[in-house]
Amino acid sequence: MPLGPPSSAIHLQSVSNGGTANSSRTVQTVTIHPVALFSILDHYLRRTDAQERVIGTLLGTRTETEIEVRNCFAVLHSETSEQVAVDMEYHRTMYELHQKVNPKEVIVGWYSTGSDLNTYSALIHNFYTHDTAPHPTVHVAMNTGVQGDEKPGVKAYLSSPVGVFAKPENCVFIPVPCELRFNDAERSGLDLLTSSLESTSLTTSSPRSDLEVLERSIKTVMEMLDRVLAYVRAVLAGEREGDPAIGRYLMDTLGTSTEGLEKSGFASSLQDTLMISYLANLVRAQAEVSARLQLVPSV
Amino acid sequence: MATSMAAALAASLPAPQSAPTPAAPIYEAIPASMSKVIDIEAEIPVTNIQLDGLVVTKIMKHSRDAQPGVALGLLLGIDMDGTLEISNSFPMPHVNEDEEKSTKSLARYQASMLRSLKEVQADDSVVGFYQSTTLGAFYNQALVDLQTIHQEKLRHGGIVIVHDVPQAARGNASFRAFRLTKEYLEAHKKGKFNTQSLMEHRLTFSTIIEEVPLKIRSNPLLGAFLQTLTAPGESRVPAALPPSFSNLDLTPVGLTRNLERILEAVDDYKTEEGNLAYLSRQIARERARADAHVAKRKEENVQRVAQGLAPLPEDDVTRLFKIPPEPSRMESMLLLGQIDAYAKSLAETSSTGLVKMYAANAGASV
Repeated sequence: MPLGPPSSAIHLQSVSNGGTANSSRTVQTVTIHPVALFSILDHYLRRTDAQERVIGTLLGTRTETEIEVRNCFAVLHSETSEQVAVDMEYHRTMYELHQKVNPKEVIVGWYSTGSDLNTYSALIHNFYTHDTAPHPTVHVAMNTGVQGDEKPGVKAYLSSPVGVFAKPENCVFIPVPCELRFNDAERSGLDLLTSSLESTSLTTSSPRSDLEVLERSIKTVMEMLDRVLAYVRAVLAGEREGDPAIGRYLMDTLGTSTEGLEKSGFASSLQDTLMISYLANLVRAQAEVSARLQLVPSV
Repeated sequence: MATSMAAALAASLPAPQSAPTPAAPIYEAIPASMSKVIDIEAEIPVTNIQLDGLVVTKIMKHSRDAQPGVALGLLLGIDMDGTLEISNSFPMPHVNEDEEKSTKSLARYQASMLRSLKEVQADDSVVGFYQSTTLGAFYNQALVDLQTIHQEKLRHGGIVIVHDVPQAARGNASFRAFRLTKEYLEAHKKGKFNTQSLMEHRLTFSTIIEEVPLKIRSNPLLGAFLQTLTAPGESRVPAALPPSFSNLDLTPVGLTRNLERILEAVDDYKTEEGNLAYLSRQIARERARADAHVAKRKEENVQRVAQGLAPLPEDDVTRLFKIPPEPSRMESMLLLGQIDAYAKSLAETSSTGLVKMYAANAGASV
């Protein structure tokens, strides 16, 4: 799933290994896990007044054609009009600490907030190249959408040297497609967070029981059905022009076979489920009784 | 994968020894300037917990990475007017067998991490810890011990946040906050969990731990960012975060494993009960022998007095007979708690299963 506004960049893959040194294939996609994104946002919130942007190290795994950013940590740096400084010692310490918990995650690149790419970006990129060599370094620029009227979004870049003589401050940032990736478990966490968006308050209460979550999902499905019904009726009445693509999707979706749910299958499965439910409640009752019996004084 | 609960418990036993040392530096790590502010506020008891969106994702990531093991990490934040705001967290590395070394390295790791976080203006006061669990069964000795230490050391006692991994995979990310009850702490202070003590404090598995209401908060920046992710793009570009309906999936997930876990827990409980019964029989036997000895000596003395001889001294019975101390019932209580938790999660799965079945059936019959 793409992150951020669509760009007009065409992602060309060079056949020869001209661009990025030593790697047999070029990186084609960068995927980012939500935890890394949220960490960057949190870091941005906690910046000092003097800082225009914040930078940090991206940790993750890489395959031949894909870089998966799974985690990140903040790094101290300072930028003035004359110089840029990155706290290398801090970077090392944090990397070692992260390695203790998750040794599989290695440095894959760096992030910064804001979407400007300048000389300092090139210098910092050059610094990170030493850490990731011989693999390419990825630079993730996150636009937090706070400044100006820019849209929030995330872009990923690889670098390529430019000029007759390779200098650290000279490089071309080549855009790479960047996607958000999450697994089932992370998905439910995101759902939890997005559900707080609908209400006006910033907080949602948890825990929710499975039944509550199910109820919400069913309600959403019913709303969607209502919407579809309203649309279909409008098309039938000639108030709206029907979109053939939508019609096709609707036919595929609603035509899904439910043959597996014929009566006998339903009945036996119902019995099984009820059985398990009884069993679970019986076990709970027994456990409770047993715990309370321990408190009865033996005369 | 299917580690029996007993094995898990045995494996988790080294943790209590390793825990005190890392807990200590946290407490002293609170800077002097802050401790004043904190002391003023410490009079207001924590009534609810507020969990930041960042921490939600961090815990979920760590819990998933750590599977099938247990993920353990520390929560950082601050308490304000009865609300404990948890704004950050970091994972703790997995503890090795080598206790002595790992305790030290853990403490070093923690101190170093806290210092580093402070440098980037993140919160650095530990307010509790989080732990991942499977199927709701979070009762175990290690958790209770660690929380006991925290509750003594940290301000407000700290809290533990439990995250259920399989439940999250089913589409319901559950985070629950707990702390130990006063009754348990009183019993713990006395250091014994025999029948008498349990009765005095009215302790059952459900009264060891109390739940604290928990809220999830996403800060405005995060909220805005999520909003753009969920918004559908222009010209049929799907949103980066489309709505999901994975929890409408009809196939029951992990029912078999849940049942297996219940059986295992019941087996463990039975073994533990057997041990307790054996021990109490031994106590009864020793006591009977001691009583018999005393009675016999008394009888002899009565006879000797009757014969005009000096009575024999009454021996110290406790020295002659070693009556073993009454065993702790903590273990069996926690196992009961686990059985209950597994059964509860099973009941929940089956009830949602029922609803889904009827929903699907209603859809099919149209």
